[in-house]
Amino acid sequence: MSLDDACLGAFQQELDYVHRSFQRLGVMSFEVDDLTQDLFVALRRSWSEYDPTRPLRPYLFGFAFRIAAAHKRKRRREVAVGIGSEVDDMGPGPDEQLQSKQGRAMVLAALARIPLPRRAVLVMHELDDVPVAEVASVLSIPPFTVYSRLRKARRELQAGIRRLLKKAGGE
Amino acid sequence: MIWSRAKLSPEVRLLLDGERLIEVLPSAARARALSRARAALAAGVATRPIPSRAPSAVRWAAAAGLICAVTVAVGAAAYEVGLRARPTAPLVAQSPGGGLPASHGNARARPVFDLPATPVLGAKQTPSGAIGVRLELRLLEQARAAVAREDFVLAIQLLADHAHRFKRGRLAEEREALRVRALVGLGRRKDARRAAADFEASFPRSPLLSTVSQMLDSAP
Repeated sequence: MSLDDACLGAFQQELDYVHRSFQRLGVMSFEVDDLTQDLFVALRRSWSEYDPTRPLRPYLFGFAFRIAAAHKRKRRREVAVGIGSEVDDMGPGPDEQLQSKQGRAMVLAALARIPLPRRAVLVMHELDDVPVAEVASVLSIPPFTVYSRLRKARRELQAGIRRLLKKAGGE
Repeated sequence: MIWSRAKLSPEVRLLLDGERLIEVLPSAARARALSRARAALAAGVATRPIPSRAPSAVRWAAAAGLICAVTVAVGAAAYEVGLRARPTAPLVAQSPGGGLPASHGNARARPVFDLPATPVLGAKQTPSGAIGVRLELRLLEQARAAVAREDFVLAIQLLADHAHRFKRGRLAEEREALRVRALVGLGRRKDARRAAADFEASFPRSPLLSTVSQMLDSAP
């Protein structure tokens, strides 16, 4: 199997994850396609350095984080597409699917308020179950920094979700 | 892991568990992404070597030099302009609407229905301004497409999104006109009339006034 095929196969396998990671990192929905393409190009350029014995998702997330951060710097302000309005628009409903969607939108909305470096650590560790050492390696930061960012990010997430729940309950 | 989760409340953990599930992309989005990836491979874009970057000290020196050069050039130009303008152009002679370039006014007056697919940006616009306008355009184009598909619910959401981010954006006028159209499409006549009245109050000289009025007349 050529490098092209291997890289394309891995990309295809984790495409859903890549999309969701960009959303968790606060990329606007209409920009996700373009950034996914950027990620593929970057991935292919570095594919020869990828160690197949290591998990693929953290490796991909590292690319997603750097691309999202560069993109954010470029447009100088971050907006989470539809996230706020999605939460605002959805009233409580008996349907489980709606509740699940609402819950996910709420998590994204709370994540959107956390600064990107801390959010990346939180997403990797809490949502993707990546161990701290791996998070440190992928994001090129010391483990102590991972712990410190994680602690702050958890506080921010907790406060954000509490605020959103209160708002949803008050309407 | 246990240490790190110790301070999250049960309800937050529950929400996080819900978010762990990765939804499958719609097949059209998947096909589009893969097709673009294959095209990049075919074009050799993905395998082209990354250009080597200069050491950071060199980059900083180059940037500092460039800033100095630009500062000197701007200063010299401003001095030159000041010298020329002083005898012939007193400040009081400026128009009352001064400060707003003519092109800006044109951009506001331009109906969204005629907007090009990609924005045409003036050379004087700052990158952030240009990006802002591009974002505005993209959102409004999506809303316009939704209206064209008669997906008025989505259109209203997109317009609300635009209003949230760009309350006083350059395309606010077009946004409000589109909102009237979407409300009419949804059959919310009362809201549409109120939105049209607001539009008239906010943009009394808008070239879109007659279009907005026709929208109301066409309401079922």
